[in-house]
Amino acid sequence: MQKKSLRIVHYLNQFFGGVGGEDKAHIEPQVIGGALGPGIAVQNVLGEQGKVVATVICGDNTFAEKIEETSEKVLELIRPFQPDAVIAGPAFGAGRYGIACGAVCKAVQERFSIPTATGMNKENPGIDLFRQYTYIVKTPKTGIGMAGAVSKMVSIVTRLAAGQRVGKPSEEGYFSRGLMTNEVSAQTGAERAVAMLLNKLKGKPFDSEISLPQYDRVKPAPRIQDMGSATVALITDGGLVPTGNPDKIESVGATRFGAYSIEGVDGLHSDDFEVYHIGYDPIFVHEDPNRLVPVDVLRDMEKEGIIGKLHNKFYSTSGAVCIVENIRRIGQAIAEELKAEGVSCAVLTST
Amino acid sequence: MRLELEIVHTKDIQFSDRTEIVDGELRINRGELQELLERDIRFSKVDIARARPGESCRIVQVHDVIEPRAKTGGSGEDFPGALGKQRMAGQGSTRVLRGAAVVLSDCNKKGLYPTREPNGEIIDMIGPAAEQGTYGKTYNLVLMPRPADRVNPMDYRVALKIAGLKAAADLAGANLDSAPDEVEVYELPSVNDPAKGPEHLPRVVYIFQMLSMQWEPIPGEPVLYGTNIEGLVPTILHPNEVLDGAVLNSYRSICMETYVIQNHPMIKALYRQHGKEIHFAGTIITTAHNNPPEFERTANMAANLAKWVLSADGAILTKAGGGAPEVTLSQTAKRCEELGIKTTIALVPMTADVRDPQSEASIIFNMPELNAIVSMGNPSVAPLELPAVGKVVGRAVPMPNGSPISDAHIRRSASIKGILCQMGSSKFKAVRY
Repeated sequence: MQKKSLRIVHYLNQFFGGVGGEDKAHIEPQVIGGALGPGIAVQNVLGEQGKVVATVICGDNTFAEKIEETSEKVLELIRPFQPDAVIAGPAFGAGRYGIACGAVCKAVQERFSIPTATGMNKENPGIDLFRQYTYIVKTPKTGIGMAGAVSKMVSIVTRLAAGQRVGKPSEEGYFSRGLMTNEVSAQTGAERAVAMLLNKLKGKPFDSEISLPQYDRVKPAPRIQDMGSATVALITDGGLVPTGNPDKIESVGATRFGAYSIEGVDGLHSDDFEVYHIGYDPIFVHEDPNRLVPVDVLRDMEKEGIIGKLHNKFYSTSGAVCIVENIRRIGQAIAEELKAEGVSCAVLTST
Repeated sequence: MRLELEIVHTKDIQFSDRTEIVDGELRINRGELQELLERDIRFSKVDIARARPGESCRIVQVHDVIEPRAKTGGSGEDFPGALGKQRMAGQGSTRVLRGAAVVLSDCNKKGLYPTREPNGEIIDMIGPAAEQGTYGKTYNLVLMPRPADRVNPMDYRVALKIAGLKAAADLAGANLDSAPDEVEVYELPSVNDPAKGPEHLPRVVYIFQMLSMQWEPIPGEPVLYGTNIEGLVPTILHPNEVLDGAVLNSYRSICMETYVIQNHPMIKALYRQHGKEIHFAGTIITTAHNNPPEFERTANMAANLAKWVLSADGAILTKAGGGAPEVTLSQTAKRCEELGIKTTIALVPMTADVRDPQSEASIIFNMPELNAIVSMGNPSVAPLELPAVGKVVGRAVPMPNGSPISDAHIRRSASIKGILCQMGSSKFKAVRY
């Protein structure tokens, strides 16, 4: 069977496109037929598999200043060539160029549903903005890595265009796109664990199957100088909700939170609340919800003048098997609301 | 210690007027078994059904799965301490109906917890869940005991487990005088007798976290020789005891059925390498805790036992429960590494940090020395597309969208029994692209 020759469009900035340096960083998107600059390398790797049919060139500042508008213009320049795939850059360590390459790949992938690839150095800000939308191969900081980057990019798009799969980030040399799936391995988990331990014992190399997490460091707010005039809010991730769960907070993987009035109550009553949370045993909270959200104690402290005031609502979500983005968003929303309502500090109770 | 498992391969399951195994066909006198189980006053009635591979059938509210087993030749008691009298497990011989399973379907009207899916965990006998999981391939006897009036949910759960053990022992014990199809032998020398072990090989221990205290232990629930191990501190168990009915699954554990404990994949994998690449030096059992003094105690004691009692060079650790047990797990592994024991952790990650490409991780610990981790599939990704089925077994309720549980639907792998396993039976591996 004769393989179809792929039509590739290549994206470059003003520098790699040979238009000029920083003085030409404001040029508008333009297109020329065939390959140019790094595109020659792309064409060499492609060989008989395909042809660089056009090159789109745009100034880095033009793109960085108006990302969406410029993406649209670039799409319109690409469209008439009906490509099978688009390759951008590589941008190496150049930040504005990286953002442009990522944006072009994202737009092309979304609008034309064809494979895209680009290349960047690990410090390029374009990576975190666009890694989930395209394949960004790892490159050194400068153009010395051109040959390696080009062959990786070409290899990825030609296989995708042929409907073949692309391997793992570590095998293919691209930045993880964050897409997780369960694959069937040749061995059971137990067999892999024994094999991995044997390699570790013998000092042989082994590949851990889970990377260690990196967490944001949160700078604590300054301490409260005078608790006697502070407004204190109660927040919990223990999944306490009014009976019937009016906000439909999920007992696992929560995407929502609720704010529930405690105006004028001296404590929470078991008939009024229940727990939506799969990660702990709610018996003791069901017996007395104050054990999780200590409204009773805070009311006493309010009366005794230890705290100024208890905020008139408590906030609740369910912290079981949550996705970090969701829980970060929930935290930010609660914090903004507390800030807007003049709350000075919060007690967070977890389970 | 030497254990012989007398394997009888089960090729079908039928209801009959006599309980026996004939040419691999498991025949069960349903009325007799029902009568035996209904003697338990905690039940008002016990329904019994069967489900065979390839049938258009879905079993719902599955609480546990047990492999039919019976001790032979007076070499012990069936599930000692839980069903039988207190006797040592792990030695002598045990009859095993391989390919058969007793499935416990929970008939409590309302559990104590509002769960994400009112039908609980399911087993499908056809479709992708049957292909990918363990229990769509076994010949299943499903028990559906209904709680008697005013029996509290905790007591019911204990009764449910005991019913399963009774049935498992009853089936396997039906005709013990017939010859088994094959015999598996599990034998290790005494740990303090290095002359009898392959001393030139690295000594490897398995640190088996059996239960997470993130949930209240159930009073009277048999987990280890009949105790609910609420106050358990780390101790050494012979691997054969685990394989031979001393250890049972707890109601709230995740991805670790009794069936898998009886066929413990990590213990079997270590046995297979014993004398070849490693010296399998024993099993340490632990629990997971919520508070620092408790998880530090467990970590220290387990690491000390591994290092100074079992002389381990390497350790493999697994966990029970959800994300919280990873704290005790990682502390224990860290203590081992500090004592010079190389570790590998194998787990089903439960913390679903799956969509954040920057974190690349789905666990809650970060210690550089814990650099060897096996991922046994992530329950938050790759849900299964289940087909519509003709028959539902168990107390079915509508799905949250209102349609019947027999309908085709998409389901998380963690809500299907036997897809993912904390002890290493599945081939799934979570991979990030």
